[in-house]
Amino acid sequence: MFAEITRMRNIGISAHIDSGKTTLTERILFYTKKIHRIHEVRGRDGIGATMDSMELEKERGITITSAATHVSWKDHAINIIDTPGHVDFTIEVERALRVLDGAVLVLCSVGGVQSQSITVDRQLKRYHVPSIAFINKCDRIGADPFKVREQLVSKLDRNAVLLQIPIGLEDKHLGVADLVSMKAFYFEGEEGRDIRTADIPKELETEALKYREILLDAVSMFSDELMVAILEDHVTEDLIRDAVRRGTISLKLTPVLMGSAYRNKGVQPLLDAVLHYLPNPAEVKNTALDLDHPGQQIELDPDPSLPAVSLAFKLEDGPFGQLTYIRLYQGAIRKGDMLLNTRTGKTIKVGRLVRMHADRMEDISEACCGDIVALFGVDCASGDSFVHPSLNLTMTSIYVPDPVISLALEPVDNKASNNLAKALNRFTKEDPTLRTYVDPDSNQTIIQGMGELHLEVYIERMKREYKVEVETGKPQVAYREAISRKMEFDYVHKKQTGGSGQFGRVVGTVEPRPDGTNEFINEVKGGRIPKEYIPSCEKGFLAALKQGPLVGFPVVGVRVTLLDGQAHAVDSSDIAFRTAAKDALRGVLRKANPQILEPIMKVSVDGPTEFAGNIFATINQRRGMIVSSVEDGTYSRVDAEVPLSEMFGYATILRSLTQGKAEFTMEFLKYGKVPASIIENLMEELRERRKNE
Amino acid sequence: MVRSELIKRSPLRILEKAMGGSLGRGRIGVLASRKGVGKTACLVHIATDKLFQNQPVIHVSYSSRVDYIINRYEDIFREIAKKRNLESAVDVHDDIIKNRVIMNFKQDGRQVDQVLNSVRAMTEHGRFPAEVIIVDGFDFVNADFAEFHKFHDFAGQIGAEVWFSASLRGDEPIFDEWGFPEVLKPFDADIDVLITLGYKEDSIRLHLMKNGDKDVPGELSIRFDPKTMLIAE
Repeated sequence: MFAEITRMRNIGISAHIDSGKTTLTERILFYTKKIHRIHEVRGRDGIGATMDSMELEKERGITITSAATHVSWKDHAINIIDTPGHVDFTIEVERALRVLDGAVLVLCSVGGVQSQSITVDRQLKRYHVPSIAFINKCDRIGADPFKVREQLVSKLDRNAVLLQIPIGLEDKHLGVADLVSMKAFYFEGEEGRDIRTADIPKELETEALKYREILLDAVSMFSDELMVAILEDHVTEDLIRDAVRRGTISLKLTPVLMGSAYRNKGVQPLLDAVLHYLPNPAEVKNTALDLDHPGQQIELDPDPSLPAVSLAFKLEDGPFGQLTYIRLYQGAIRKGDMLLNTRTGKTIKVGRLVRMHADRMEDISEACCGDIVALFGVDCASGDSFVHPSLNLTMTSIYVPDPVISLALEPVDNKASNNLAKALNRFTKEDPTLRTYVDPDSNQTIIQGMGELHLEVYIERMKREYKVEVETGKPQVAYREAISRKMEFDYVHKKQTGGSGQFGRVVGTVEPRPDGTNEFINEVKGGRIPKEYIPSCEKGFLAALKQGPLVGFPVVGVRVTLLDGQAHAVDSSDIAFRTAAKDALRGVLRKANPQILEPIMKVSVDGPTEFAGNIFATINQRRGMIVSSVEDGTYSRVDAEVPLSEMFGYATILRSLTQGKAEFTMEFLKYGKVPASIIENLMEELRERRKNE
Repeated sequence: MVRSELIKRSPLRILEKAMGGSLGRGRIGVLASRKGVGKTACLVHIATDKLFQNQPVIHVSYSSRVDYIINRYEDIFREIAKKRNLESAVDVHDDIIKNRVIMNFKQDGRQVDQVLNSVRAMTEHGRFPAEVIIVDGFDFVNADFAEFHKFHDFAGQIGAEVWFSASLRGDEPIFDEWGFPEVLKPFDADIDVLITLGYKEDSIRLHLMKNGDKDVPGELSIRFDPKTMLIAE
C-alpha cells in the first residue's frame, strides 16, 4: 500500500482568469478518460465545462468554487483541484494550495504574467508549492511563449526553464519540440488523442539545440551526475528528468511547458510532466499542531498504518447532504471508522466515503494517506481537522483574512427569511472569509466579506440555490479607530448605593502601536491591585476598545499599560475593576487624539499602455496613491494603494474607460488614516449611519 | 532629531553648497561611475532627501525590478532614520512615500518618446506634480544626443530637475585627461551638472566635474559609504 503513495499526485491548476485553465482541466479529464466528450467553458452545446459545476459559474464563464476530481494517468492517480482565479475568492485558492503538493501555473501566451498571475504566484510561494508552468493559447494571434518565460523570470523571480519549444505559433501551431527527448510531438486523431512522435523539424533544429543547452546548463546544478554526464557527453533523458525534478521540488526551478488546450496540443506531455516533476505526497513535509502541548508542531508521517490525520478543506452542499472534502496526511480511513473533530470534540463515524469526479461520485471503502476524498453527511466547518480518536492534533489553520466590507440584507418576504438563514449557515461554513450577524439595533442581517464581487456572488447564489430574494443596502466599509498620542490615566470607580459598594482604581498609560494590534501589559507592583483582579482590568480595557470614542468603531493599535491602582478590602470586586478599567480607557481614548482608519486596498491594474493615462486618472480620482507602473512592450501594470470606500463600481468605470481592455485585482493591504480633508464629512455621515442602524 | 533638522544636516547640503544651490528646475544632473560603485544608491539618497523636503519624485528605472527599487528606498530611509534618530519615523515614512512613484520601463524597443509620454501621463492624468525625476539605467552608450535632448526639453516643460545615472563601460580610456567620461561627451551640451564616483584610498569619493559654466572644485568632501549605502561626510 505504501508503494502507492509514490504513484499519487495532488495538484492544483492555478491561473489568471482568462488563461484557459478550465479548458485545460477539461482536456485533462478527457485524455484521462474521465469524460467522454469535451465541453467548452462558454460552449455552444450549453453544457459548460465539467469542473464548473455551478450554474452561476457557467453563466459568467468563471470558476468560483473548486471542485476536486480524481483521474488516472499512466498508472498514477492524480487528484486535481480546479481553483478560481479571481482575487475576491482567493480563500478557495489558498485552501486548495494548503492541501496540494504541486501546482500547474497556467499562463496565456499572449497576456503573459498579469496581475492575477502575480497574486497566484505569491500564494504558491507562501505555501511552498512546487510548480510547473504551462503556457497556453499558443494558437492565438500574438502568441509568444518565449516572452512569457522571460516574464516568469523578470516579474515572478522564477528560475523558469523551457522544456519545450513550439512548433509553429498562432494558426501555424502544430505541436511541441521536447528538449529532453529531442523529439517532436504532434497531436493527431480525434480531439488530439494520438501523439505522433517524430524528429524535430530541420528548421527548428538549431533553436532546439540552443534551448536544450540552456536547459542543461540550468538543471545541471541540481544533479552532480548530470553534470558529469554533460562533461562526458552521455546525457540521458532520465538524468535530465531527475535533475528537473530535484530543482522543481526544492522550489528552485520552474519547468515551462506549452501548447494550446483549446486546440488539443501539449496536454498529454503536461500530464507526463506532472508525474515526472511534481512531488508525491510522501515527498512533502506536513506538520500538525499538538493540542496537548500548545505551540508544538508534530511532523506527520505518510504511513498508512499510523493513526489517521486529515483536514476538511472544502464543503459542498449537494442534493444528498453535505459533502466534505478531506485531505489525508497520515494513516488511512475506512468505512465505519471513528474520527474525532478536534475543533468540536465530537466523534463521527465514517459512513459513506467517496471519490469525486466534478459532479459525479464513486463510493470507495478506504482511502490512504496522501489522498483527497470526500465524506458524506458530516456536520463540520471548513478547516476542521479529523483525526483518529487517540490523537489530539489539528492541522495548521488556514490563514483567514478579516473581512473589509459589509452589506445589509433585507429578505423580501417571510419564506425568503427562513431560507436566508439556511443559505448563510451553509455559505459561512464553506467560506471562512464570509461572515454574518444580525445587527441588534436595526435587526438587519449583515454579511461581511473580502470585496464587492465576493458578496455579490453570494447574493446571486442565494437567489439561485435557495430562492432567496433580498434587498441590499449600500456596501459599507469596515472602519476602525486608533489613537495617535500617548496619554496617562488615573481613574477611580466608586459606588456606594446601599448594599456592598464598588471600588477600583486604575493607573496607567495608553499609546499607539504601529502594527495595528492591541496589547495589554501589566506592570503593577506590590499587589496594589490584587492578582485576581488583573484579568478583570484586561477585560474592562478590551470592552472599551470595542467601541471607539469618535463614531463607535473598534479601536485598533493600542497598547495599554497598567502601572498602579488601588483596591478596597470589601468593596473591590471583578465587576468593580472591570468597570474602572472600561471607564478609564473610554475617557482617556478621547484625549489621545483619536483618528478614523479606513481599509486600504492593494490594487493592480493591467492594461494596454495606451490607456495608462486613464488608469492613472482613475486611481488619482479615488484618493489612491500610485506606487509604481511597469511598462513591458504594449502592456502596462499599475500598482496602487486605494481606500476601499473609493473602489465601489471601479470595474465598470475601468471597463468603460479602457474599452474593456484593462482589468484589475485588489486585496486588503492595511488600515490607513482617513485624510483630514474629508474627515469631517465622513464623521458626519458615519454618525448618521450609526444613528439609523 | 526632527525632520527639518535632518534636512538641514544632510551631507547633501555640502553638495549643494559646492554647486551653489540645488540642481534647479529644468536642469539635468548626471551621476557617473563604473558599474557597481553605487550610482543607484546615491540617486535614491538624493531622491529621499527631496522627499523629506516634500518634493514629489518620479523614479524612472530601465533596469531594476520595482520591488528591488522600493527596497532600496526602504533601506536608505531606515539607515537615515537610525543614524539621525529621526522622531516619529513611521509617520514621516508614510508621509514621504505618498510623494514617490516608481516607473519601470524595459529599455529594448522603448523609445524616449514613449517613456516621456508615460511620465507626462503620470503628471497630468495622475495629477502627480513631480518636481524631481530620477532616471536610472539610461543607456548612454547606445543613445544619441537627440533622444537625450528630449529629456532636457521635457524637464523644462514640466519644471522638474532631472538626475540621471550613467554607467561607464566600454573600451579604455573611460575618462579623458580632464576626468570627463568619454561616453558622456556627445551629451555634454545638455548636462548641467556632472558628478563622478570613483575609488580613492579605499573609499568612494564624489567629484563635481561640471556645474554649468561655473568653476568646479573636482573632489568633494563627501563620499559614498557602501556599508550604509549613503552619501556621507
